[in-house]
Amino acid sequence: MYVKKVAVIGAGTMGADIAYTLALTNIPVVLRDVDDSALKRAQEHIQGLFAQRVAKGRLTAPDADQRFTRIVFSGDPAALQDVSVAIEAVPEKMALKQKVFQELDRLLPPLAILATNTSALSVTEMARVTSRPERVAGMHFFYPAHMMKLVEIIAGSDTEPDVLKTLSRLSEEIRKIPVVVKECPGFVVNRVLTASMAEVMRFKAEYGYSAQEIDDVIVRHQIAPLGPFTLADALGLDIAWDVAQTLQAAYGDRFDPGPELPQLVAEGHLGVKTGQGFYTHNRS
Amino acid sequence: MEVEREQELIDRFTLATYLEAARLYEEGIATAQAIDIAMRAGAGLPQGPLAWADSIGLDVIYEKLTRLQHELGDRFAPPKSLTERIGRGQLGVKTHAGYFNY
Repeated sequence: MYVKKVAVIGAGTMGADIAYTLALTNIPVVLRDVDDSALKRAQEHIQGLFAQRVAKGRLTAPDADQRFTRIVFSGDPAALQDVSVAIEAVPEKMALKQKVFQELDRLLPPLAILATNTSALSVTEMARVTSRPERVAGMHFFYPAHMMKLVEIIAGSDTEPDVLKTLSRLSEEIRKIPVVVKECPGFVVNRVLTASMAEVMRFKAEYGYSAQEIDDVIVRHQIAPLGPFTLADALGLDIAWDVAQTLQAAYGDRFDPGPELPQLVAEGHLGVKTGQGFYTHNRS
Repeated sequence: MEVEREQELIDRFTLATYLEAARLYEEGIATAQAIDIAMRAGAGLPQGPLAWADSIGLDVIYEKLTRLQHELGDRFAPPKSLTERIGRGQLGVKTHAGYFNY
């Protein structure tokens, strides 16, 4: 299906980065949020991203201005009437996402695709509150969405092949790499990363090496670009722990990261964002 | 870190990565190619986990897994997609067939 215009629902960092990525390739975007101050912050964030690109010499200032005008920042439902694809990027709460999908289902043309950027919740469960479950799929961007190349296109139980094809093509159009994945807890990347992270965390608990010693070995042997502890600290230990618990409940103890991760989370040491995690981070 | 521990760490990390990729493949969640592309583009791995197993040799992977299974438990049990390929003489790059064809 030809994608004429895309709506991004939720103007947090993820939503803003996705809207920027679309506008950068000249696709008309409506960035929607019920909160005017969130829209204002998103506008500043996106202007900042365009300015960085201009400063690097990768875009001329007039080009940046022109592409920026591709984005309509709006809370007005009327702005959604000719949208072909909506990508929701609201907080990870099933009830909230279902409410957003019900509203989009009411406002968007009958063949429009409803996509969710969830990294953990069931696409099928979201789809089934709409009148068009076959037009619903996941479009899982990685953080930060304007830099990370991968998009996992998630097929729910009811998703039509045409929808997966359209979302894959849209991903390529915005210079991303799409892979089609059937719905399961963790999808592909988070499931594999968390499995190896949990294994290394158990190794640490068994032998008592430092995070640094372990990360050094993994980076030196070039088996991953970052050590698992560096990655966990960057991601946020609260998020890493959440994902590990979800996957442990779904698949069993191979996702049990051992005692240190939950202990750090309980102490409020969440990694880079709090200055302390497996490492001490200097915040400047 | 002693050389032996270092090798154990590398084996546990790379094989946990491979095993989860193999499970995703066996469950039909994604194709072998999609899984490897996802891990390269989404996690920055230098090689996809299934192509990695093919390049090491599936017979070598099998030996490493049975050793770790004995030492650490059944989470390292060789997966069906591995034993089937070995049974067919498909050992990866060196026999021109494994998870991928060469």
